[in-house]
Amino acid sequence: MAGLGWFAASLSWAGEAPHAHPKPQVLAPGYGPLEFEPPLPGSYALPPLGDAADGDVLDSRGRATKLHELLDGRIVVLSFIYTTCSDINGCPLATHVLRGVQDRLLDAPSLDGQVRLISLSFDPERDTPPVLARYGGYFKAPGFDWRFLTTRSQAELAPMLDAYGQWVIRDPEQGALSHLLRVYLIDREGSIRNIYSVSFLHADTLLNDIRTLLMEAQASS
Amino acid sequence: MSPYMAKIVGQEDFVYVWTLGMPGVGDEQDKLVTVDVNPRSGTYGQVVDVHSVGGRNEAHHSGFTDDRRYLWASGLDTSRIFIFDVHSDPAKPRLHKTIDDFVAQSGGVVGPHTSYALPGRMLITGLSNNRDHGGRTGMVEYTNGGDYVRTHWMPIDGDLRGAAKGGRFADGYGYDVRVLPRRNLMVTSSFTGWNNYMMDLGQMMADAEAMKRFGNTVIVWDLHARQPKKVLDVPGAPLEIRCAWGASHDYCFTSTALTSEIWLIYEDEDGEWQAKAVADIGDASKIPLPVDISIGADDQVLWVNTWNDGKTRLYDISDPHAPKQMLEQQIGEQVNMVSQSWDGKRLYFTSSLLSNWDKKAGEADLQYFKLYTWDGEALKHRFTLDFIAEGLGAPHQMRFGAYALYGLSPPVKVAQR
Repeated sequence: MAGLGWFAASLSWAGEAPHAHPKPQVLAPGYGPLEFEPPLPGSYALPPLGDAADGDVLDSRGRATKLHELLDGRIVVLSFIYTTCSDINGCPLATHVLRGVQDRLLDAPSLDGQVRLISLSFDPERDTPPVLARYGGYFKAPGFDWRFLTTRSQAELAPMLDAYGQWVIRDPEQGALSHLLRVYLIDREGSIRNIYSVSFLHADTLLNDIRTLLMEAQASS
Repeated sequence: MSPYMAKIVGQEDFVYVWTLGMPGVGDEQDKLVTVDVNPRSGTYGQVVDVHSVGGRNEAHHSGFTDDRRYLWASGLDTSRIFIFDVHSDPAKPRLHKTIDDFVAQSGGVVGPHTSYALPGRMLITGLSNNRDHGGRTGMVEYTNGGDYVRTHWMPIDGDLRGAAKGGRFADGYGYDVRVLPRRNLMVTSSFTGWNNYMMDLGQMMADAEAMKRFGNTVIVWDLHARQPKKVLDVPGAPLEIRCAWGASHDYCFTSTALTSEIWLIYEDEDGEWQAKAVADIGDASKIPLPVDISIGADDQVLWVNTWNDGKTRLYDISDPHAPKQMLEQQIGEQVNMVSQSWDGKRLYFTSSLLSNWDKKAGEADLQYFKLYTWDGEALKHRFTLDFIAEGLGAPHQMRFGAYALYGLSPPVKVAQR
């Protein structure tokens, strides 16, 4: 459950069993070492799952652009987040894993310039460009291509969420948000090639998927 | 239930019952029946919506997408898949889309069975194929939007697809699927093909050749790569698979329809996935025919239904390698599916197995939806909906719905003067 008390009492989104007596929350696999030997990059297929949708976004300096302008020939990892999300297995997990991907890419100079990370807020009211600039500053390595984006309004945001199937519920009274964590892997042609949720999201498998797409592109060129 | 899916951990508002149309009963069509099960509701225990789909398809299983907004319900005979919108109005599911070309798109898979949610997509297990209508089959992936993605044929002797053969069998059959994502494990089971599941049960039981054509395998797969790794011998048609929920519980259960055993799929000390029989279910010589199983959220208990004798049994699985039977109770003339609330206190049962296998009309307590409560000691009956008297048909898979899943509140009732 991403961030909320308002219906956390009756529902659970995160995949771990709630108990009558509170227990320490089990952290998502993405916070620890991978508990299995992942398949080698290039040894498996990532079939297209549809086109990555476009939309109007603002970067962390407040400049307006189209999301598709940022899908410009790089492999993109797109994560929907909001900065006030407090559920450890929600948006913080996504940002933690993206930072892990960043760290691994920084250690792999051969992949330099081939991958872009995008964290797109679904809370335009609170996540203004300056807020996102500050948030991004905590995670982004200097010079690394990680964009922190927002939108002008719910009206601009809603079609994008709908197109990506990113389901968000808003509590009309408290403004709290609940969502199913989703991270999207988008290839150079703008096609969605994998979708990750809380139980599946891990920097090691995401990096292998990126390498798989790069190997596929090399083989076809 | 998929680990990727939102869960109702409090009181469910509705149970969606995917129901086979029966000749001479109501409109005779397959239908999604919505039962109000919230005791605080004014229509508690009543059918509040019926959505017929325009014919009979051998309605069988159903499953939600990972965001739980849509319910995919399929027909084993026609291979049609009906996608219901259950989020716009949880009290009144609406038919959103129908997939009519499952067989053609999949390259010949017939009999869509389990609809299993993976992140942003659905994995559909098949039971058969369009070449001989036997048991060789595959799994088919769709996007949540209902677009075909790809087909994975089950490994079979002569085409093991890179899998190791752990025993005697590699039959290529399919039935159910579950995953343990943190271990990158996917597990599938095996039943029988269209020729058998659409045949009259008595006729099939008397046909020695037909009785040879049942699955004897469980397959463990690399989930991420969708690559079969090992074909395990589990003789006697292993059906439903339920994996443990606990973060360190790396095992799954299945039950065998023909040999009446509970089997454990587990990782041995060398890190190899294995399968072994861990308990008997009734007296196998009397063919109790285990069908649905349901594991508690705390991994301590497993409910096991046996269709032929109409009983449910409860097993203590605190030691998964040695389940112990705690309870045995008659539910009806026949019983098939069992679904429990997340707290394990409410158990819902339905009766139907397959249209040509079900016991015939005229016998009492035949086609029903029943609620029981479980307090740790006694299983107490709360209410029954007779699906024949209600003009509905033969109820099969149950899925839970709740307003709160979608940020909605139940409609406020205005007091009438």
